[in-house]
Amino acid sequence: MSEDLELYKQAYERERKARLAAEDVLESRSRELFLKNQELEASLVQLKAQQDALIRSEKLATLGTLVSGVAHEINNPLSFVHSNVDTLGQHSEAIAKLYPLLIESLTLEESDRAAFAERVFKFLEEEDLEYFTQELDGLVSDTNDGVQRVKEIVRNLRSFARMDAQARTKADLNEGIRSTLKLINNQISANTRINLSLDEIPLVFCNPGEINQVLLNILVNAAQALEGQSEPTLNIASKVDQDWVEIKIGDNGKGMTQQVQKRIFEPFYTTKEIGKGTGLGLSISYGIISHHHGELLVESAPNRGTLFTIRLPIDGP
Amino acid sequence: MKGVVFNILEDMVVEKGGVVLWQQLLNKAGVEGSYISVDTYEDAELFKIVHEVQKALNIPLEDVIRSFGDFMFAKLADRYPMFVEAESDLFGFLKSIEPVIHLEVQKLYTEANLPSIDCANGDHQRLVMNYRSPRKLCILAEGLIQGAATFYQTPITIDHDVCMHKESDHCELTISKVNV
Repeated sequence: MSEDLELYKQAYERERKARLAAEDVLESRSRELFLKNQELEASLVQLKAQQDALIRSEKLATLGTLVSGVAHEINNPLSFVHSNVDTLGQHSEAIAKLYPLLIESLTLEESDRAAFAERVFKFLEEEDLEYFTQELDGLVSDTNDGVQRVKEIVRNLRSFARMDAQARTKADLNEGIRSTLKLINNQISANTRINLSLDEIPLVFCNPGEINQVLLNILVNAAQALEGQSEPTLNIASKVDQDWVEIKIGDNGKGMTQQVQKRIFEPFYTTKEIGKGTGLGLSISYGIISHHHGELLVESAPNRGTLFTIRLPIDGP
Repeated sequence: MKGVVFNILEDMVVEKGGVVLWQQLLNKAGVEGSYISVDTYEDAELFKIVHEVQKALNIPLEDVIRSFGDFMFAKLADRYPMFVEAESDLFGFLKSIEPVIHLEVQKLYTEANLPSIDCANGDHQRLVMNYRSPRKLCILAEGLIQGAATFYQTPITIDHDVCMHKESDHCELTISKVNV
């Protein structure tokens, strides 16, 4: 019996040693895991900071797109307004000289009238004032149109003015579509047919600046996909679907393969040339729509075109 | 309570009374008794076993807990030598409990309910340790300090007038070196 007990004690001791060894291994692995975890957490913080920096750069890129569009759109009316004002300025001196002639005519003796008339006709001919008076209405009306166009661009720009604002408010998304289209007008080739079919839709509770950023990204992508197409067409529609507002932006451009479609919402994925796209536009757009509890869907086929559908809950998230 | 505390209690009982006694105590306490150091078990389970130890030895519970603390220090020092090797004297070690040892334990076992140990006051001869824990195991702390004093070959006395068991919100353990 005593021998048995001794053997049991030996077995107990052996098992105890094995347990201690196993626990040592476990603790050392736990320590390694803890240190690895610390490294991973540090990497995560670094990655987050890099991601934030990239998102900022994407916003700057979007801003760059806007600025070039706005510059082009303003430059066009500005150049003919400038030309018209220049013409008006050149002739204003001659018109000013007509005033003393008018006063002089009121005090003329009968005998001097013929000579005076000859002087006036000569002056009118020299200054080309007959042509100027015929064109005056047109000059003023064109100048007014130009100023109106600049005013309109500034008004459209206002909807982007709050791009960084976090506040959500009730916004007219049709207005967003129209103003975004006007701002990127120069990026859409002149022969593109634009079919706008905007139903009457209720105001949507959203961050309008962010939604405009999404519209801008999708419209610029569509414009780029249409480059080189023989009959480029852009179809833009909005409608109500129960508690949702649905916006469809379709083009008959290059289109995408299934493989490309699967990846377009991934950060940094781009099919554009180096320097043309950050690969963040659609991933940020996807994030924005998701934060609004909406849906961003894509249908596409190579050489047939792409259709993006944005669905947003009317009452917001 | 971490399993390592149960393991050391088992070591103590087996060293003093053998495997058979340990198994008898487990049976009487009505617990299964398989513990691994890294896991966490109910405090009540430990107290049941300690109660059985006290009944078997027929000595006051406080003495059992104090002796266990003393024994536990030696075992922990053996198992985790880096903590005692890092400090050259007793007071240095006691001051390192909260900022070093407890910090390391928390890294590995986030669920560990460690006591709060504050050694703010004192001088070369005397150290006041403030102990706070909902478990109120200040007597175990006394035993552990005694074990540390033995390890560092520093004779001490411990005064424990302010105590959580005497309506105070914390315990004050005044550790004084004894000149020999």
